[in-house]
Amino acid sequence: MAFLIRTIDFTASGREIIRDRVVEQAHLTVGRAAECDIHLPDLAVEQRHLALTLASDGTLRAEALGTLGFALDGRSVTEGVIDPGVGGEIALGSALIAAARDEAGRVTLTIRQAPAEEGKGDAVAGFALASALPSKRAASWVLASLILVLLLAVPVFTHATRTITPNDPDKITHGQTVLDAAWSTGALSVKHHALEENCESCHVNAFVSVRDETCISCHKGLGDHAAKPRLIAGMPELSSGDAALWKIAGMFGKEGRGACTTCHTEHEGKVRQQPASEAFCSDCHDKLDTRLTDTALANAHDFGKQHPQFRPTFYAAYGAKEPVRLSLDKKPVEQSGLIFPHDVHMDERGGAARMAISLAQYGAPLECKDCHAATADKISFKPVEMEQSCESCHSLVSGRGAGGFTSLRHGDVRKFREDIAGLRQGAARKPVGAARQRPGQFGEAGRYYAQFGRPVNAHISLARGLEKGGVCTECHLPTQTGGRADLVPVNLPDRFLMHGYFSHEAHKKEECTDCHAADKSKTANDLLIPDLASCRDCHLGATAQKTKKIVPSSCAMCHAYHVPSGQWSQSRSETTKGASSYVADARRAKGSDQ
Amino acid sequence: MASRASGAGKSRFSRDEARRDSDHVSFLKHRRFRWLWIALVLSGTAVLAYALIDQEPRPNGGTWLGYTLGTIGVLLILWLSLLGVRKRHITTGAWSLKAWTSAHVYLGLSLIVIGTLHTGFQVSWNVHTLAYVLMMVVILSGIWGVIAYATLPAHLSANRREMTRIEMLDALAALDRQLDSAAQPLERAEADLVLATLTQDIFHGGAWGRLTGSYPACATARALKAIGTGDEAHARVHALLDKRREQLAQIRGYLRIKALLEIWLFLHIPATIALIAALIAHVISVFYYW
Repeated sequence: MAFLIRTIDFTASGREIIRDRVVEQAHLTVGRAAECDIHLPDLAVEQRHLALTLASDGTLRAEALGTLGFALDGRSVTEGVIDPGVGGEIALGSALIAAARDEAGRVTLTIRQAPAEEGKGDAVAGFALASALPSKRAASWVLASLILVLLLAVPVFTHATRTITPNDPDKITHGQTVLDAAWSTGALSVKHHALEENCESCHVNAFVSVRDETCISCHKGLGDHAAKPRLIAGMPELSSGDAALWKIAGMFGKEGRGACTTCHTEHEGKVRQQPASEAFCSDCHDKLDTRLTDTALANAHDFGKQHPQFRPTFYAAYGAKEPVRLSLDKKPVEQSGLIFPHDVHMDERGGAARMAISLAQYGAPLECKDCHAATADKISFKPVEMEQSCESCHSLVSGRGAGGFTSLRHGDVRKFREDIAGLRQGAARKPVGAARQRPGQFGEAGRYYAQFGRPVNAHISLARGLEKGGVCTECHLPTQTGGRADLVPVNLPDRFLMHGYFSHEAHKKEECTDCHAADKSKTANDLLIPDLASCRDCHLGATAQKTKKIVPSSCAMCHAYHVPSGQWSQSRSETTKGASSYVADARRAKGSDQ
Repeated sequence: MASRASGAGKSRFSRDEARRDSDHVSFLKHRRFRWLWIALVLSGTAVLAYALIDQEPRPNGGTWLGYTLGTIGVLLILWLSLLGVRKRHITTGAWSLKAWTSAHVYLGLSLIVIGTLHTGFQVSWNVHTLAYVLMMVVILSGIWGVIAYATLPAHLSANRREMTRIEMLDALAALDRQLDSAAQPLERAEADLVLATLTQDIFHGGAWGRLTGSYPACATARALKAIGTGDEAHARVHALLDKRREQLAQIRGYLRIKALLEIWLFLHIPATIALIAALIAHVISVFYYW
């Protein structure tokens, strides 16, 4: 039972001095007192601080003799056991006592001064997570700068310094603003999708809301639903929240409730523009007369419950210059100038049917489509042409000419007069001068044969043709113009309902006569437009219960907002079938008749 | 007299108790959850308004309700971020730091409702959603922070086993000194392994290592694996290495809990500043491209 006590000191020059001594006892005391086995001249150490006892099993027991403890392998304790085979270190004041077993089996206690504690505070800082991560401040600066530069400064700068080019719907290009895709709140609608990369085509000026003029730059020919002041006057009262929002928006230059963007919101995803809901229309039209007191429009909010009677546009007087628009409730009488009893033509056992059966062109009793051909949009019908639809029965053949039958020209009384005058009728006129035979085409009855006698017979034929019972008045009404026999001009619109559209295509499973009472119409004065009640047999408002027969029908089924007669489209705007073009067409057609 | 004295004493006692209670009550329970109730009323009002008010054509930030929620949201965010300034001035009273912190937590939570309703549930790859996502990162990291502060310090205390951080480092240093002398008889290759152990940074492994407690490059573990217990010298080194491993495990346990306790702030603060930048970009861009 012996300890080898090894003391390691350093000279001022840094040289190590090692002193070994062997203590032949199993119990040692450590302290500041001179009588201690291990004397440590350190004020931080007690006079008798620590007892070291070698146990019989070879372990070293350390025990504080006073109230102050000591550090055993770094841990503050008042007692502890060291296995000298493994080793252990006791720290006492500034001294470190390392215990170990040497080759001879003795317990060696090596005493040395603890290294200076400089930098320990720094080492403790390593426990904080901050030592393993970039500083919060640096990360904040980097992130914030990236966002502000890339998502704000770059788009703003490139937008402000771009060269503005006018919009061209046929040639959509990439925008010049960089990274503004990050500003988009959502994909554009299907029709605007090509503009996805060109934000500035709509967002022209910074901090200026999208203007109507920008929309119109592509959507040319788009009519206003009504004049803007009337449009706004007809709108329902705003909620106080919306009123406040519009007021504030107005202060910042927003165009107001009548602007395109009020209804046409964008960036709602790649969707189609949906037809306006019934509520969208009825918001204004439900009680429109209370807000627009001078309106000619009747209130409407649900096709099945409140919708005015149809008001077709037609000619109410023979030869009238302007058409009139009149409710079907007022039993309108059409005076187109034609004589046409539909019932006679449609009677399957009548003379017309017999005649049609005998003709190769028909081979069957007449049907509506034999005369009425729908336009491409299946909304209205092409004008009935006499030559195509009537002449096979109502023949205008006037004689036999060199190339076959000759026919009187239809459509213009002046041409009729010319044709009649050229006819060789009745007894031969007295020749002028000596009769002289001419050859070929120049001979009598030849094409270029000139006869200078008075066309007495022609005058008679002309008068007969135009008077009652004549060939013209089978279908036309006779009249006098400037003392001469004439016919009442025909005023037949291609389309009667011009503030809504009716798709004949969607109704092709129906018979024409289910809606148009043509088979019972004895006179062309009947206006064969079906009335509201007949439509309501199947069509009720949008909220109606759908059944096999009932079709819930919102306003948008027949009405368009911008162009009353149909939906606006890029191509339509170019082919002039735009706003109220049907009325314009009707007027133009009538003008040419005069 | 006696009864008066005892009555006065009691009231003073209860007064002191009340003061002590209020001093020690958590910021979460501050004033009987006053700010929780305020936040609930705010969120409930926003939800009701969203559900009941007709927003045409669809709810988003552009309706009057959307603008209102957005304005409330941005003001809240700016005020909440001021906690960083406010916490450096500790005061008591109605606007004590505790009251402020309580309001910060609960009003911050109400931003989940207000911000989400402001979006109208429209999200996309843009600066607007970026602001929303950053806001959610800030809020979620804040929630993690509150949970961490409520639960982890107990674990930290248990892990320390009455040792201070300096003691932990001292213990390791003591082991290292013994290891240094114990390893003297070893051959070159083994000596190198011990040397690597002694020279390796205690805190190596980075943030990920700290959070997961995984240190695949630990030199102590390697040396322990390679140095057997063949003779007495080896056995001694092995035993010391094992002790070192244990001491390192304690330090690393401490690092892990500390990292879990602190990581939220490394998200919370930079995300807050990034959020303010994204909000600036969001608001300006919306009106720039009005």
